[in-house]
Amino acid sequence: MVLSVRGLAKRFGVFAAVEDVSFEVSAGEVLGLLGANGAGKTTTVDCILGLLEPDAGAVTICGLAPRAARAKFGAVLQATGLPDKITPREALNVFAVLHAAPQDALLERFGLTQKADAHYDTLSGGQKQRLALALAFVGDPPLLVLDEPTAGLDIQARRSLHDDIRATRSGGRAVLLTTHDAAEAQALCDRIVVIAGGRIAAIGTPDALAAGGALEDRVAELMR
Amino acid sequence: MSALATLVLLNLKLNFRNRMAILYGYLFPLIFLVAFWALYRNDPVPLALHLGQLVTITVLGGACFGLPTTLVGERERGVWRRYVLTPAPRWLFIAGMLIARYVLLLSAVLLQIALALAFAMPLPAHPVAFFAAFTATAFAFMAIGLVIAMLVDNVPAVQALGQCIFLPMLIIGGVAVRLETLPGWAQAASSFFPGRYAVAALQSAATGSGRAPFELLALALIALAAGIAAAGLFRWDRQLRPNRAWVVVALGMWVAIGVLNQLRPLSRPVMDTRNVGTAADYVSRAASRATQSWRDVTEADIASIAFDRLPPDDGIVSPVARPDEDPDPVLLPQLERIQAALPGWAPGNVIDPVQRTRNLLLVAAVPDLMQVEQVERFVPRLVFARLQAVIPPRDLPRILYWIATHPGEGSDAAVHELAGFGLPDPNGPGNAFHPREMLYAFKLLGRLSGNIVTAPR
Repeated sequence: MVLSVRGLAKRFGVFAAVEDVSFEVSAGEVLGLLGANGAGKTTTVDCILGLLEPDAGAVTICGLAPRAARAKFGAVLQATGLPDKITPREALNVFAVLHAAPQDALLERFGLTQKADAHYDTLSGGQKQRLALALAFVGDPPLLVLDEPTAGLDIQARRSLHDDIRATRSGGRAVLLTTHDAAEAQALCDRIVVIAGGRIAAIGTPDALAAGGALEDRVAELMR
Repeated sequence: MSALATLVLLNLKLNFRNRMAILYGYLFPLIFLVAFWALYRNDPVPLALHLGQLVTITVLGGACFGLPTTLVGERERGVWRRYVLTPAPRWLFIAGMLIARYVLLLSAVLLQIALALAFAMPLPAHPVAFFAAFTATAFAFMAIGLVIAMLVDNVPAVQALGQCIFLPMLIIGGVAVRLETLPGWAQAASSFFPGRYAVAALQSAATGSGRAPFELLALALIALAAGIAAAGLFRWDRQLRPNRAWVVVALGMWVAIGVLNQLRPLSRPVMDTRNVGTAADYVSRAASRATQSWRDVTEADIASIAFDRLPPDDGIVSPVARPDEDPDPVLLPQLERIQAALPGWAPGNVIDPVQRTRNLLLVAAVPDLMQVEQVERFVPRLVFARLQAVIPPRDLPRILYWIATHPGEGSDAAVHELAGFGLPDPNGPGNAFHPREMLYAFKLLGRLSGNIVTAPR
């Protein structure tokens, strides 16, 4: 088991953002965390990565607590960026030093060779997202956490990123993917956790959740 | 390369790619320098007496605006949220940023000093003490910058909070406006601002004794308290709410230092107590001989003086204005006050001619020692004229020689009777005045004997 989440709960004042959330992700599996905006997906991810301290529950990554497991995961999060004037080559070099791991070939693998020395603020949205994914791969971690990685991307960039995620799974890594797009979850995920109002509404394979119908309709029903 | 070195290098590279950072970090300090040079162009030695102020302003700008602006800007864009997910320890990122900022401040100050040298400013008298004072100032203000960065959520708020600290410190904190020129209440208030201690420590190293233990301790404690407060307030993400009670730790130290300074018996402007040598440095050893009284002094004794070894008249130590040099009109009221008060000044009329001469020389020595800028080089002209009026011409050279070679004799009580001239009452070590008395005695003697000729320009 690469990622284990047990009875996770997080409150902000009187507001319960996440309550009693439990799931696991295995090696070679893409698990989707599917829910509407404000459903609690990002709070769950922040607790998993140690950015927020949960009020209850336990998270382990490769058997370690999140803060001790920083070398075991890579993450592409919402609301993260890089300094405007850093170049992709510099960013990868710095992250490689911080992970004490090589980053050879990541520029090429994520199609950033031609923009290797361009400043971050001159990159397109898709290029920035590919760089974020490349940075998540530094250190070759067993778990990738992707929080709505395709948000704001055009169709071409989105397809390219989907290919990267599939390649990641076939490489034997575990992937936790949050999305509010049922079609994206169905296309990429082995299992889906539907989260609504901070609680797990359903969990299963895309086919089992769709139950012969359209997954989007079923999810919309669960979120009501 | 180590992770820390990599982060320092990255921070430096990113800074130099940012035009606004270059503007604020390097151009503004140079503009301040030129402004000070223009404002105080009548100083005998350009800029030297304002170096502490200039460097403090540079460090304040870089540490209390530049540092938090960078940190808050990156936090707003989620850069720190990304950094914190790497396996590197969190302190590494802060250390990298602080070291890079220190290097930037150091380079800005060195550039400022280089330009000041081009304006004929001499190098700081105590370079090691100057470096120590700069370092203490930089870390004190960087720690304050970190507190600002942790308190605010966005870059405009950095400017607002930074100005709340920056402006009072400039105006009533003894940074942009010299402490001695501030009213009493503002001088007392300045004790509670860190800028005062930065200016005093740096100025002491630039033109003073180079010893400022209280000021250095104050800066170190301010840095420590602000560092603890910043650690308590620390947040990687603007969504996290800091516990603002930690600010009390930083501000509490400002108050504690201010109270301590108010209680200090020697809380007064910096005295220039640098070593200017002894009479033996200016009198030929072979020619000097033991004399019992000023009456035994001969022409040969006076001829043994190496007048060319005396500090230059246009320097910081024992300056004397040229005969054809007119003081700035703003100085005239004080100089006229001194000139008018000299004939009636009791210590300048005592019966003993040696003590009388000593007392009058003190009137020149005190402004020099207390760095009463601009005025100090015109006072010796008034004193020399008064001495020539009240001491017989035959006796004056011998008395001056006697005082110059016996500076520790006689009474210094007159030093506390200078209020009538509008001069400060220096409560420092009594023997601090003797070397300056000695130098002015030599300088007047040089003029009387024709060994020092000050030709009009």
